Amino acid sequence: MQLLQALRVLGIEPLTALACVCFALGLWLLLPSTTARGKAFGLIFTTISLGLFATNLHLLSDWVSDAVFYVMASVTLVSAVGAVTMRSPVYCAIWFALTLLGTAGLFFFQGAQFLGVATVVVYAGAILVTMLFVLMLCNPEGHSLYDRVSWEAGISAGTGALLVFLLTWTTATTVFVDNTAFTDKTPAKDSKEPAPIVLTATAEQQNKNILAPRHVEKLGGELFSKYLIGVETAGTLLLVALVGAVAIIAHGKHAEAQAAAVRTSDGMTSGLNEEGRRNA
Amino acid sequence: MQATDPNVKWIEEPKLGLAGKMYIPAVIGGLATTTKHLFSKKMTVSFPEERPEIGNPLIYRGVHRLNKDDQGRVKCVACFLCATACPAHCIDIIAAPSPWPDRDKYCESFAIDELRCIFCGMCEEACPVDAIELTSLFDLTGRSREEMIFDKEKLLSVYDMTKDAEPMKSKSLGGAP
Amino acid sequence: MLAISIEALVKIALLMGGLMTGAAYFVLLERWIAAWVQDRKGPNRVGIPLTKIKLFGLGQPLADGLKFIFKEEATPGHVDKILFTLAPISILSAALAIFAVIPFGSVLPASFSEMIPGLDHQVELLVAPGIDIGMIYIFALSSIAVYGVILGGWASNNKYSLLGGLRSSAQLIAYELPMGLAIVGVVLTAGSLRLEDVIGLQASTGTWNAFAQPIGFLVFVVAAFAEAARLPFDLPEAEQELIGGYHTEYAGMRLIVYLIAEFLHMITASFLIVILFLGGWHFWGITGSENANITWFEAIARIVVLNIKIFGVIVFFMMIRWSWPRVRFDQLMSLAWKVMLPLGIVNLVAVATIVEYQKSLEGKLGGPWGVTAAMWGVSLLAWIAAGVLAPLHSDNSAQKDSFVLSAEARNRGVRPGVTTSI
Repeated sequence: MQLLQALRVLGIEPLTALACVCFALGLWLLLPSTTARGKAFGLIFTTISLGLFATNLHLLSDWVSDAVFYVMASVTLVSAVGAVTMRSPVYCAIWFALTLLGTAGLFFFQGAQFLGVATVVVYAGAILVTMLFVLMLCNPEGHSLYDRVSWEAGISAGTGALLVFLLTWTTATTVFVDNTAFTDKTPAKDSKEPAPIVLTATAEQQNKNILAPRHVEKLGGELFSKYLIGVETAGTLLLVALVGAVAIIAHGKHAEAQAAAVRTSDGMTSGLNEEGRRNA
Repeated sequence: MQATDPNVKWIEEPKLGLAGKMYIPAVIGGLATTTKHLFSKKMTVSFPEERPEIGNPLIYRGVHRLNKDDQGRVKCVACFLCATACPAHCIDIIAAPSPWPDRDKYCESFAIDELRCIFCGMCEEACPVDAIELTSLFDLTGRSREEMIFDKEKLLSVYDMTKDAEPMKSKSLGGAP
Repeated sequence: MLAISIEALVKIALLMGGLMTGAAYFVLLERWIAAWVQDRKGPNRVGIPLTKIKLFGLGQPLADGLKFIFKEEATPGHVDKILFTLAPISILSAALAIFAVIPFGSVLPASFSEMIPGLDHQVELLVAPGIDIGMIYIFALSSIAVYGVILGGWASNNKYSLLGGLRSSAQLIAYELPMGLAIVGVVLTAGSLRLEDVIGLQASTGTWNAFAQPIGFLVFVVAAFAEAARLPFDLPEAEQELIGGYHTEYAGMRLIVYLIAEFLHMITASFLIVILFLGGWHFWGITGSENANITWFEAIARIVVLNIKIFGVIVFFMMIRWSWPRVRFDQLMSLAWKVMLPLGIVNLVAVATIVEYQKSLEGKLGGPWGVTAAMWGVSLLAWIAAGVLAPLHSDNSAQKDSFVLSAEARNRGVRPGVTTSI
């Protein structure tokens, strides 16, 4: 009882705390290990925790929005759990791709078209494909157990659950402001009182957000005025990485050329080498 | 073989000229060739409706026939040379004493398994009396294996069918040289 | 609300029906062109079943489809079954979803909306007219399509399939860059990521982007060929060397799903070439250029013009297939990184300069035609420079050197590529 009260004081729903504990337990059971730790129980615990999280959420304005949101969110979460618990790296990558698609769907749902599509292009289209490219070179039926188990299952499951808990707690105790950045309506500036607490935009607003006709233009304007320093810093960082990669390659080529020079001028007198030197 | 082996010949490809390096002329050249062929005359023969033209029927190796002489008798004298020459062993002859005075034997039965035959023409080469010949009929079909074993009557009927279009090849009998 | 939903569903049904029929008949067209180029007649027998009516072989796609449906759905024992099934599904859904943002006409006249109760706006011939990020969406989905190829190749657990998948992923990643650069040039002039706006701009100025940005057009066409994996860039499949590449192990319906997806990629590429660079539905004097009071004649003319252009580009695709041999993989890669990428950057810089300094440039060069002439000059110079400076793909001396060096190293017991010191 006291524990419950302490939780209430902190602004934590007891159900949320329970959900996080269940989540940690389920994740720990699901993570690949050397022994059979009971995947079925893991699945049950994870499902329970997802259900408990869901009980804590507020319903949106209409049932269509609800359905879309909950389907997207559960796709994202389930595939995220799949991404960390699969044994085969290729399956991990596929689940992760599904996570990204779910996230992109959530972005779309909130009217952030550019962000949603950029997530797919950058993560699913470029990074994951490159990862898959490497993974394809590994044997699908490798027998080395060493690479196929999660070595710190307890710590990672606990950390993950803690992160989820902190996020939920923060969102539960934060005051939401009407998200009108991308709509044509400008918030009233003259009123002194704080902005109204709105958990989500109404259906009408949401439609407006999603179908904002000059969406990308506004985003570009924001990025290159308000967030210019951030954009430039990120750009510089990427440039430095690019130059570094080129430098590494160039250095490698130089070393190889030196080695080749050493090899050819190395006092070997066989006929084969004569031929080789002439051809080179 | 090693790369440094003197027997390995490294060939330098010819250098491209400026037009070759510009790619576009080469692409247009290729497209011009394909476009020319797109509208050119087609080589395909639509078989059942159109019959392919056989250049010289006298040297074509199609279905066999058994020739008849001017009295309408089968010319075969049952010497078995064709059956001996046949590499596929598809000729089956039963000989009998001849009812006619000008030869000793004639073929009582003469069967060719057309499914076994490889249409090499050796029987035609071997025949001393020009009795067996290959015609230019090529579309022989049947519903069973038995049907494809051509007996004497069938082979003689092939002769009746083709004798006008394809005269006998022997010079002495007025055939083409 | 209901009217809008029905409108969207009707458009989707039209598009799906058109695309699927189109893909089937483009297979027939491909076979015809293949035959005609080789002086054959091609499929001309299958007409109406149970009759003797042949109809030039127009029943062939139906017969092909039936054949695929009744084939055994063989799944080899050594494959990863889940991914093996998932791969064709993902590639087809991605290939179809791209068409949500691709216009297949312009708009219908206002009189059409008045006829139908509940419609309060002009009907745009586009499934998702509200999306402001059309081109990035196309990019996103074409990168999802790579998954089908990679997963199919990997799940087949077969060396040919794996090689096909590897080649495909490398090729698609490499050619997305020049394609993106060429698209950015178009986006800069149009000031929008919507395909409708790009067509609208070309229609209002009357200048097609292929004329305004010749080098961007060339880069885009080459990249589109590579992205659609058509000859001369069909290395992922390469029947002669990889026996079909990533779909070696597939049969029956799964195979036909792959084949349809491939044809859809080609159709998408043709749509993009036409819309971005060849003026979309615009043709001088016939189609008009504004949407508000469009007549029925103009609306239908726009659809017809667009489809004729797309048909022409697809025929071009098929003719190129029989005109050019397949390139080698290293040639493909060096073409992407050493030729197409620099050309794309040249195009982008030139277009950006023109967009930024349009007024002063027009003043200096004597009007808009002067600017276009300058653009053509720059393009020609860049093309010649790329042709002259590009590495000689036909030269094999580099391979010879490495062969000789590694043979030497083997003789001395040194592994090639390992640095040694004296």
